[in-house]
Amino acid sequence: MTVGAAPHPGPRTTCLDPGVAGAMSALSAAAKRGLGDPVLAELVMVRASQINACAFCLDMHVDLALERGETPKRIALLDAWAEAGDLFTERERAALALTEAVTVLTADAVPDATYARAAEHFGDAGLAHLIALITVINGWNRLMVSRRIAPGGPAW
Amino acid sequence: MTTMDETGAGTDTTTEYLHEHTPRLAWATHAPEVFKAMIKLDAAARKGLDPVIYELVKIRASQINRCALCLDMHAKDALAAGESVERIVQLSAWEESRHFYTAKEIAAIELTEAVTVLTDGFVPDEVYAKAAEHFDEAELTQLIAAITVINAWNRFGVTTRQVPGHYKPGDHK
Repeated sequence: MTVGAAPHPGPRTTCLDPGVAGAMSALSAAAKRGLGDPVLAELVMVRASQINACAFCLDMHVDLALERGETPKRIALLDAWAEAGDLFTERERAALALTEAVTVLTADAVPDATYARAAEHFGDAGLAHLIALITVINGWNRLMVSRRIAPGGPAW
Repeated sequence: MTTMDETGAGTDTTTEYLHEHTPRLAWATHAPEVFKAMIKLDAAARKGLDPVIYELVKIRASQINRCALCLDMHAKDALAAGESVERIVQLSAWEESRHFYTAKEIAAIELTEAVTVLTDGFVPDEVYAKAAEHFDEAELTQLIAAITVINAWNRFGVTTRQVPGHYKPGDHK
């Protein structure tokens, strides 16, 4: 039996104001720069994109994670990081827990324990930029999923 | 008796209210470049959108995400811009109070809910199609951008537990 991949139905629209796209890119850059940890940034962006089922964002950030030296095994187990033992550091685990809480915001409005755990590993500036990065990828996820942008784009 | 001062905060002297909390983090102070970029993004996303719909969208997303500071800001901005108390009060129950809103406003509110609670259906075809009936392509993507941006403000506000009650209409215009 031959199973053919169903073609992507095509984007709903690739329209996006260049001013919005440019401002989003500048926001992303500011968040990443402030966090100062390119590998962690990609892990956070992949995890949020998994939750939000953003194919375009997963495609892009898995590639970027690999480029920055991340391993295929850690990317494959990212979805199950809480059960992945010492495959992820405490700092990464704290960041991933915060990523999940901020992404699924309506579930529990970022519980004190999750926030405190992240605050233990990141200083005020680091934490502010980590929150910014999680917020930014949630923004990209919304812009891409709402318009059904295919992996690889075009996105605008 | 409870009275309200000009900010809308209770100033009653006989009723004992709970204490105001302190924010978890002054994020804009610790990430000033991010804050500036958010302001620019906000300005870019509101361009070309009906300001009445824009405020309704901001209030509805902030209700869903329970961002107290954002509700404080956008309810006051909407009132200052001439929005009715009734339409603001009824907004979270719009399904039962459709006659306060236009078909275009309801389509925008439904899209707001779908994009905000993204994991609940990932913006279903019927919600997108209904919005596309009322907004042309450019306006629709600006609407999506505006929903995205208020969701971003909500995430900052809720995660860092910003304090409502001090906003005055126009402070961030």
